[in-house]
Amino acid sequence: MSTENLVKHLPNDIGGTGSSDDKIHIFERDLYPWEKRCHALLDVLDYHKIVNTEEKRRGTENIGSEMAGKLSYYEKWIVSASNLLLQKGVLTPDEIAVKTAEVAKRYNLVL
Amino acid sequence: MSENAHNPHTGRDGDNHPEGHDHAEEHEPIIHEAAPSYYEILEISIRELLTEKGILRPEEIRRQIEVLDSRSPALGAKMVVKAWLDPAYRSRLVQNGNAAAEEMGISIYDNTKLTVLENTPGVHHVIVCTLCSCYPRPILGLPPDWYKSKEYRSRTVREPRAVLAEFGTLIPEEVQVIVQDSTASERYMVLPLRPAGTENFNAEELEALVTRDTMIGVALPSISN
Amino acid sequence: MKSATDYNPATYTVGEQVRIAMKFPVGHYRVPMYMRGRTVTISKNLGRHINPEEEAFGRNAGNESWYYMVRIPQTELWQEYNGPDTDMLEIEIFENWLEPIKKDIT
Repeated sequence: MSTENLVKHLPNDIGGTGSSDDKIHIFERDLYPWEKRCHALLDVLDYHKIVNTEEKRRGTENIGSEMAGKLSYYEKWIVSASNLLLQKGVLTPDEIAVKTAEVAKRYNLVL
Repeated sequence: MSENAHNPHTGRDGDNHPEGHDHAEEHEPIIHEAAPSYYEILEISIRELLTEKGILRPEEIRRQIEVLDSRSPALGAKMVVKAWLDPAYRSRLVQNGNAAAEEMGISIYDNTKLTVLENTPGVHHVIVCTLCSCYPRPILGLPPDWYKSKEYRSRTVREPRAVLAEFGTLIPEEVQVIVQDSTASERYMVLPLRPAGTENFNAEELEALVTRDTMIGVALPSISN
Repeated sequence: MKSATDYNPATYTVGEQVRIAMKFPVGHYRVPMYMRGRTVTISKNLGRHINPEEEAFGRNAGNESWYYMVRIPQTELWQEYNGPDTDMLEIEIFENWLEPIKKDIT
């Protein structure tokens, strides 16, 4: 089977693909604090056009179908933001590595 | 990372529903004091790095959280009810959603264009974003998880009447259903029909009927609730 | 004084039938697969805007293009559509995705 459809058809493009058996899970919940902070972070990055909203969308699509299927909504957002800030040279890979280790340590975690 | 550090903070949505969930039991958010997930650590790290470099100021994030918290379907409901009561406002709202929102002191903070879809006795609108989760956040707040879910996004364009039925909304055959796939620069709000029997309702009583779901188009305002 | 739009008028008019291109960008797009190659009717001219497909690569200004609301009967989109013929779908499409309807040569 050709792989070209993986390139041409982005994993987020799902209109019309669902079946009636996929019932909608209708429930309410509040966002977790980190999810709301993540949302606010991306809004502010858009205001400054450091990462605009459309770039962030592209970033959530360009993570491959495995991550697209397994990560939650805001998990995709923060991974997208990280990748875009790296691509734009705003952050370096090592800065993220050092900082995430430092933050983990505050919570007595090891990455 | 340990497993229990991962789950409570992920905020997994319908894009990736764990199998075997009992959805009826899912309403309560789980409050854990567990350690942050990897993704929360990443969020904290990115934010702190940008702050340390002077690219963002912490108060900008705090202010934006306040903006997000200040938005809820109550704002959209005020616009709908004003449109029900004031025909001149109704035509301004349908003509230019942004101006009509701002006239009521509601800023369209995300620089999107608000288009209002007017339901009539013969036309019912329902909104979906099949590519991501476009939503009129300035007037309705952040969308519910189901709006962002794979099931809603993948099915609504193809079988809107079946999807509406899952929300308990049955649209008669003689009423046209128009699905709005919101995928680019506009953001949409449905202007629902004012239900019969509300002639003596005041604005506050009417606003209580205009729920978030009626402005997405998956429900109809009803006085029986 | 003439504005930029006088020199770049919209190609299509409300009520006109057009075809959504059958083409395949790489990396990012805002026209879902299910709409590709469909014949649609222009229902509204939405003005000009930066094309999100370019915005997604950091172009934050300039190069605005026309975009339209288009509509298509659901029964034309989905063969097994369960609902009346009057049910519709509407979506925004930028002008670079639209083509005039080709007349049959035979």
